[in-house]
Amino acid sequence: MDIGGLLKELLLEDKVLIHFDFMNGFFDINKSIVVTWGIIIVLTLFLLFITSNMKMHDISRKQLVAEFIAEKLRGITLGMLGEEALRYRDYMVVVLVFIATSNLVGLVGQTPPTMDLNVTAALSLMSIILVEAAGIKKKGVKKWLKAFAEPMAVVAPMNVLELAIRPLSLCMRLFGNIIGATVIMELLKMAVPIIVPAAFSVYFDIFDGLIQAYVFVFLTSLYIKEAVE
Amino acid sequence: MLNVSVMNVVYTVINLLILFVVFKLFLFKRVDAVMTARRDEIEKANNSAKKKEQEAEKLKEEYALKLQDADKECEEIVAKSRKDGYDEYDRIVSDAKDKAEQIIEEAKHNAQVEAQREKDAYVSELTDLVVHAANKIAVSKHDEETDKELYNKFIFEAFEKSE
Repeated sequence: MDIGGLLKELLLEDKVLIHFDFMNGFFDINKSIVVTWGIIIVLTLFLLFITSNMKMHDISRKQLVAEFIAEKLRGITLGMLGEEALRYRDYMVVVLVFIATSNLVGLVGQTPPTMDLNVTAALSLMSIILVEAAGIKKKGVKKWLKAFAEPMAVVAPMNVLELAIRPLSLCMRLFGNIIGATVIMELLKMAVPIIVPAAFSVYFDIFDGLIQAYVFVFLTSLYIKEAVE
Repeated sequence: MLNVSVMNVVYTVINLLILFVVFKLFLFKRVDAVMTARRDEIEKANNSAKKKEQEAEKLKEEYALKLQDADKECEEIVAKSRKDGYDEYDRIVSDAKDKAEQIIEEAKHNAQVEAQREKDAYVSELTDLVVHAANKIAVSKHDEETDKELYNKFIFEAFEKSE
């Protein structure tokens, strides 16, 4: 058993899939991006399928599914966001679905895109931009700046630091969880090749992936809720 | 492992935005359209139901009013017919009274006529009797005594006859 070799292969593999010679590889496209394209295509086709031929009465089963998905997911994110941040629920639904499907592609033999730090960094970057944008939109620039000195001026540096800490924690939590789960799964497969990995896969590949998607969306929603209060 | 390439972050952001647009266009917009249409329909149905209810209420009131009118009319008719009946009754009674009076009058008249006739008959009989008596006197001899007797007899006879 070569644990070191396995870890090296997993963690230090060359993530670049499409290489451009242009500008010393600055525009290189990672494997995670390509997998994301695949996810987008699959989701698009799925949505096109279930929302095609929508009717008002005598709805088909797939339309029922479409309506159920839309309303349920919106309900979940709205519950976390609160009525005041109603407008952001659709984006949160998209993030939830994206992270969940990303974490689940391990089931079909692909590397989850969320195992790439670039993807989680982009997600958390979007989140913090959305949070601050929501705050500015709600309170106006002046009040938003003032909010940094609340509840008292002393904590202002902390609040400014939070601008960086929040996305960093979001990004690292997601990334660490997924890569941790993958490493553990690989080690398990190495130690006990049959049966046991299947049982643990239910937790690490499915449950943990969904939980992490939920946690990411939940925290972002919490920040937004806080920002628009 | 932890190296961040800016372009890949940008790619992911673009991917996310694309996914957002896809969801918005193909899921939320379509579902919302159906939901809104459904809500509109329900509202419309509700409104029309309310309107119909109001109409029914109005009709009901109208009918109640009409019924009241009918009641009034009915009463009027009854009162009128009662009045007519009284009038008729009065007319009949007065007619009957008139007739009765007439009959009484006639009867009185008849009685008078009858009485007259009887009187006439009596008078003629009396005349006959007088003539007869005169004849008797004329043919018989008469003195004061017989005359007196004759007068008495005559008066007596006449008296008897009149009774």
